[in-house]
This record gives sequence, structure tokens and C-alpha cells, in this order.
Amino acid sequence: MDDVKRMAFVVGLMVVGISLMLWAGWHNLRERKLAMQRAQESKVELIPQGGAAAGGPTSEGDGPKMKGKAAPAFTLTTLDGKKVSLSDYKGRPVLVNFWATWCGPCKVEMPWFEEFHKQYAAQGLEILGLADDVDAGKDAIAKVVTKTGVTYPILLTDGKVQTAYGGLEVLPMSFYVDKSGTVVVQTAGLGTKDEIETNIKKTIASGGAASLAPSVSKAVVAAGMLQTAGAR
Amino acid sequence: MNLRAFVIAGVMVAGALGLGAQQFGGSDAKPKGYVTFAPEPQVVKAGKASVVELRFQVRDGFHVNSHTPSSELLIPTVIKLQPADGVKAAEVVYPAGTKFSFSFEPKEKLDVYTGTFIIKLPVVASAGDHTVEGSLHYQACDTAACYPPKTLPIQVLFTAK
Repeated sequence: MDDVKRMAFVVGLMVVGISLMLWAGWHNLRERKLAMQRAQESKVELIPQGGAAAGGPTSEGDGPKMKGKAAPAFTLTTLDGKKVSLSDYKGRPVLVNFWATWCGPCKVEMPWFEEFHKQYAAQGLEILGLADDVDAGKDAIAKVVTKTGVTYPILLTDGKVQTAYGGLEVLPMSFYVDKSGTVVVQTAGLGTKDEIETNIKKTIASGGAASLAPSVSKAVVAAGMLQTAGAR
Repeated sequence: MNLRAFVIAGVMVAGALGLGAQQFGGSDAKPKGYVTFAPEPQVVKAGKASVVELRFQVRDGFHVNSHTPSSELLIPTVIKLQPADGVKAAEVVYPAGTKFSFSFEPKEKLDVYTGTFIIKLPVVASAGDHTVEGSLHYQACDTAACYPPKTLPIQVLFTAK
């Protein structure tokens, strides 16, 4: 009888042991899958495009997700001291782009933004470039602005706006804000030009009808007239 | 026979528990920096001009600007060391960087460190164990994004005999 009890005890132990091993194996597999998923998300692939290549957006340390949330308000100054608030562009699609003078990929996409800024002006698109490295000095920032040919507003960050937008562990970082003030798309790292244009179109299409400021309305009308004249 | 079965079962349970514990304790921690310092204890001749090597490792897929980057706008890698008793240190010697271009900007050549790079610290030290505290300031990028400048605290350990 004792032998039977001992045997039952041993069998029980073996069952527990095997169960634990199976559980550990399953847990290991799950962790590996999650790690692979995280690695995949962080992976940066270079995608050739029209002779030049650009990397896909990276998620490395990209902080809290802002998509679907109201874009945090800010009032910052331009290089020439003018105050600019996000609320100045209420009712319009806005691309809020954080960049820095030491960031190579940032300087690649800035001329693209300039191009899109002109291309989608009729749809009310505004682009705000927020320089994340104010300590570099206005001269250094102005030098990059000149070199990249950017004419949209360049704003000097105040330390608070970076926190409001999630801490910015990666540059470039862009937030596409629709007419209702909601972040439609958030990107970290350099995307392709096509991806940027797709995001702009999505932002323009989102958030209901545009309510353009009078000055913009005039510009839109003028642009429309020019286009019509060109068509003739 | 029963005893053997008992031992096997015990080993299996212990093994499973150990494996499970290993999984729980597995390092899920994301590296906080892009450069690590490998503090290797070194031995130099006491009272003689010697060189202590400071070995750094840049994370795979990343690069940092060299000490002499190609543009004034880029942030150079700079080491700062605190004075230490019994150690007379001269200016550190930085390695030369390697040329690097972003694929999207092939014409612009950057001067960077990737993989392992060694900064040399010339010293004359008195006999004994020494610790030099310091920090490495650097700014890293990968192929599509850049990361804010970081400061890595370091502790250089060596013995003069």
C-alpha cells in the first residue's frame, strides 16, 4: 500500500513537473513572439524611391501615442520674435513637425514639407516646424532653415511643448492635426515622401469641413483663380 | 526504482521552476542609451607614462558622431574626466571616425563611430588602484532617425604597479 502511495506521489510530482515545463515553454514562446514583434516595430527599412532612398518611420522610444487625442495647445515664438499659437490655425489641417539642427533625417524631409505646404495651400494646410534644439542658437537654426529652403513658420520650443507631445525621444517627430484639432497621424523618424503626402491627404480629409481664416480664404481663392486661368 | 523515479521527478520540477524563474527574470529592459562603456580593469607601470584604453560600444544599427564631425551643426562625441588622486592625466586621444552617409543623402559624408571605439587616456600614476570618474557625451542616429544627445557616466578603473 505504501508503494502505491509513493508511486502516486511520484507520478503526481512528474505531472506537476511536466506541466511547469510546458507552461515555461509556452511562456518563453510568447515572450519571444512579443520580442520579435517589438523588434519588427523598431525595424527601420530603407525603401528606394526615385533614386533617393528614405527610411520607414521608426518606433524606437517614440513615447506615448497621441493619435486620436486632441493636439496639445502651445504658443511659441518664431525666429523673428513673433508669437504663434496652434489655436491660430483652428479649423485648418496642421502638420506639427519637431526637428533639430543636428538631425540629418529632419533636414531631408523639410524641403518635402515646403513642397507640400505650397501644393496643399488651397486646402488650408499649414506646417509648423518646431526646432527642438533652441540651445543651438537662432543663427544655427536660421542656417538650416535657409539651407532647406523652408518658408513655413519655424518656432522655438520652450521645453514644455516637447513634454506635452510625449517627450520626443526620436527626431524627426511629426503630428498631423486635423481641422477639429485631433492628431490623426503620429510619425517618428523619416518616412518616404509618398507616406508624408498620404498622411497630409488623410489629415486634410479628416475632421469635417475646413473653416479657413479670411486671409487663407483669399489665398485659396487666388490659387483657385490661378489654377483656372492655367487650365484655360 | 521508486527512489530513482522520485529523484527524476524532483529534478524535473526543479528544472521547470528554474526555467520559469528565468523567464520571469528575463531581461525585457530596453537599453536606455546607444553607447555602453566596457570598464576593463587595466594595469600600468607606476610612475611611468602609460596609456589607459577606454572601450566603448555603439549599439548595432546606430552611429554616433566622431569627436570631429563633418559639420559644425553636428554634436561631437566628447569625454570629460574628473581629476583623481595619484593620477596625472594628459589630453585624451580620440580615434578617427569612419565615413558614413545616409542612404537618402549619399553626397553628405558624416564622420562617425560605429561598433567599438577606443579613446586613449595617457596617464602617469602612482602605485595603487585608481578610479577616474567621468562621462561621455554623444548623439546617436540610426538610418532614419536621430536621438537627443545623451551623457553616459563612466568609471575608469586601473592599477599602477
